[in-house]
Amino acid sequence: MVLLMTTDATLASHLQELRRGTVVVASLTVLRTPGYGYSLLETLSEAGFEVEANTLYPLLRRLEAQGLLTSSWNTDEARPRKFYTTTEQGDAVAAALRTEWARLDEAIGDLSVTTTTPGSEK
Amino acid sequence: MTAGLVDRYVFTALRRVPEQQRTDIDRELRASIDDAVDARVEAGESREAAIEQTLLELGDPDKLADSYANRPNFLIGPELYGVWRRVMTMLFTTVLPIVVIVVAAVRLFEDDATFGNVLGAAITATITVAAHLAFWTTGTFAVLERTGLGQTDLKKTWTLADLPKYEKSVLSRMELGANLVWPVLLTAALVLQQFTFTDEPLLDPANWSFWWPALIVLVALKAVWAVWVYRLGKWTRAASVSNAVLGLVTAAVMIYLLASGNFFNPAFTGFIDADADLERWVSLATILGVALSTFWDIFDIGRKVEQSRKGLPAKVPGTGNTYNYN
Repeated sequence: MVLLMTTDATLASHLQELRRGTVVVASLTVLRTPGYGYSLLETLSEAGFEVEANTLYPLLRRLEAQGLLTSSWNTDEARPRKFYTTTEQGDAVAAALRTEWARLDEAIGDLSVTTTTPGSEK
Repeated sequence: MTAGLVDRYVFTALRRVPEQQRTDIDRELRASIDDAVDARVEAGESREAAIEQTLLELGDPDKLADSYANRPNFLIGPELYGVWRRVMTMLFTTVLPIVVIVVAAVRLFEDDATFGNVLGAAITATITVAAHLAFWTTGTFAVLERTGLGQTDLKKTWTLADLPKYEKSVLSRMELGANLVWPVLLTAALVLQQFTFTDEPLLDPANWSFWWPALIVLVALKAVWAVWVYRLGKWTRAASVSNAVLGLVTAAVMIYLLASGNFFNPAFTGFIDADADLERWVSLATILGVALSTFWDIFDIGRKVEQSRKGLPAKVPGTGNTYNYN
């Protein structure tokens, strides 16, 4: 039982480690069409990204500070909302990150297909 | 009532957000909370429950504020921790002992020096100096961590030259240094006690005609011996025998002077006030100390010589492991 719990905790921490950074790629990709905090949260969770509101909102401001997003207040509706849009630079970064993601995916796939490792064969 | 919850949450979070970002984060956070609450209400929850659930999901407002402010929630980050630890180790193993020894030595030569006084001064100095060293060093590093000043200078890139050499030298540089500094300190203490520290010198001035200069020569010879062995680079019988002779002669001089009552100055008044025969006890303790340290030194060097001659593995300096000298 204890072993099972430790395994779960270990797995959870590794999963978190692996997912860290995916939210950035996803946000920059989604926000090519302008969106506000809550709408992005919804889009991401529908798409299957597990992200917490308290991680996403500060992240958006950091990406803005880095020049990957711009923002403007939309006061047309009853509830004023801050809309974020991916900048050109942000788009370029997202493209680079997606390429890297695809490369890693392929590499991991190759690894799990290859059953023998050098030195293990007799 | 629950309308107040959102206000309280936002105020709490904003408390710890930099002033110039507050208005913007205030509006954005409220809008996001309202959006989430509306979505929950639409899904059929009561407004109160929706607000409570939304705020619970946002979590600790202080943590949210840290996240907004992009503030490090650590004192010294991994980049500087290594340098900090090295500096602290150096301060605590080198600077602290030196300061404490100096403080205790100065106290020792004051008129009202008793064992308790000196020990008390040493303990107080240890605690005070250690606290200051730790506090100011850590404080400085925390400031560096937050301002980013001088970080490029501190983050020295590691090169192969930084690897310890684990040379087969018989004396490490540290041991050689200690062997060279010790005679200088001893000679300085011997000369200085004659003129300063106390009105009457602690040690018998009559011995300046022969015994004190002889002792100075003997401790200086130990330094010469250390340099010789260091440059020789191996333990030999000659090194062991000469060390033993030197040690025994030095100890013999010390013990002769102490035992015959010619060591301390008869005119020194520090011992007179004590109830017991303090001079006799100090003499006995010193004789014991001299004898023990001499025997240990002779035994230690002799053992190293024998190990080296038999080709037995010896400890690698700086590690717990062994290697062969040969």
